[in-house]
Amino acid sequence: MWFPISQVTISPLLLATIGFVIGVLGGFFGVGGGFLAGPMMFWTGVPINFVVGTDLAHMTGNSIVGSRRHRALGHVDLRLGALMILGTIPGVEAGAQLIEWLESIGNIEEVVGLSYVVILTTIGLFTAWESLRAIRIKRTDQLEIREVLGIQSMSHRSRLLRIPPMVKLPVSGIEEISIWTIIFAGALTGLLAGFLGVGGGFLRLPLLIYLIGVPTHVAVGTDLFEIMISAGFGTLSHALKGNVDVLIALTMNIGAAIGAHVGAVTTRYFSGPIIRFLFSFLPLIAAVLVLLRITG
Amino acid sequence: MSSNPESSSRVDPSIVPLMRSLALELVIYGPIVTIYFFLVLHRTNNWLTNIFNASSTEYAIVAVLLIGGQGVMLEMFTSWLLRRIGLRH
Repeated sequence: MWFPISQVTISPLLLATIGFVIGVLGGFFGVGGGFLAGPMMFWTGVPINFVVGTDLAHMTGNSIVGSRRHRALGHVDLRLGALMILGTIPGVEAGAQLIEWLESIGNIEEVVGLSYVVILTTIGLFTAWESLRAIRIKRTDQLEIREVLGIQSMSHRSRLLRIPPMVKLPVSGIEEISIWTIIFAGALTGLLAGFLGVGGGFLRLPLLIYLIGVPTHVAVGTDLFEIMISAGFGTLSHALKGNVDVLIALTMNIGAAIGAHVGAVTTRYFSGPIIRFLFSFLPLIAAVLVLLRITG
Repeated sequence: MSSNPESSSRVDPSIVPLMRSLALELVIYGPIVTIYFFLVLHRTNNWLTNIFNASSTEYAIVAVLLIGGQGVMLEMFTSWLLRRIGLRH
């Protein structure tokens, strides 16, 4: 089929299939899937200037379906998501400004690429180590509960910060936490997302779990809620610049809708540590993809 | 080690009804969205291209509304489909 906006011919079935795969990942892990959708779209022939904007548009639709489904399952902490946004937006702007400043003093493509590889590898290895530890604890102690953390010190330390105002997050099972801890987590993920030029799903999920102490299932749903808002803003911004082929995004979303549904429902059949262990492969795959691009 | 007591009360349901639900959902969903694609999306091609060429602001607003609208609609449709065929996830 001919897509006149981006001037490209692509099979709609192929787009819907890509959307389905990304949708399953998004619904299950709470990520936008930009690190996979982008290269896949480029591979199908979408011009590079349309890849980022169209990917964001697709991510928005995908996360709407995923977060609505997770909300129905009780996995979205709206209060936490709304508070994180307060930090995410200035964080993304600061990250983008940092990139512009670094660009003005030299070629930074390799610096950003290597930072990306180091950050993603660290997240992937840490999550794999922690989740395997949690799985062992769960087996040794024969615990029947869904959520076990292999480490606890980070979320405990973050709760010690008692700068008012304090907020209660009943959906996440958090009695009291400083609003500044949440805003800081949002700002940090926003800064990294803006600096690395990614949606930030696989940066936010570990922070929600390890720093704030949110159960994995709620972290996945809340992460999708955040992606829905941030990708929505990104879509609007890129569409104004003429970098979005909305028909390609809508076609991908047909597959993504059922994929996100499948992914979200499937989380009910896995415990938190298993989801985190499977998740740990995503940043590592993304790191390898970036490393190949830098060295290639 | 930490645990979430709220989650502990929920028991994971059997995987068999889930697989049956999802397979049936895919079988019904596939043809319906194919019809939707050819009746609705395919026909909006020219209209969207005209807006894209005429006004970037109008195009941006239409793009976000279409993405949001289709997302909500498809999610409601998949949920309705499950209730309609009497299987639960």
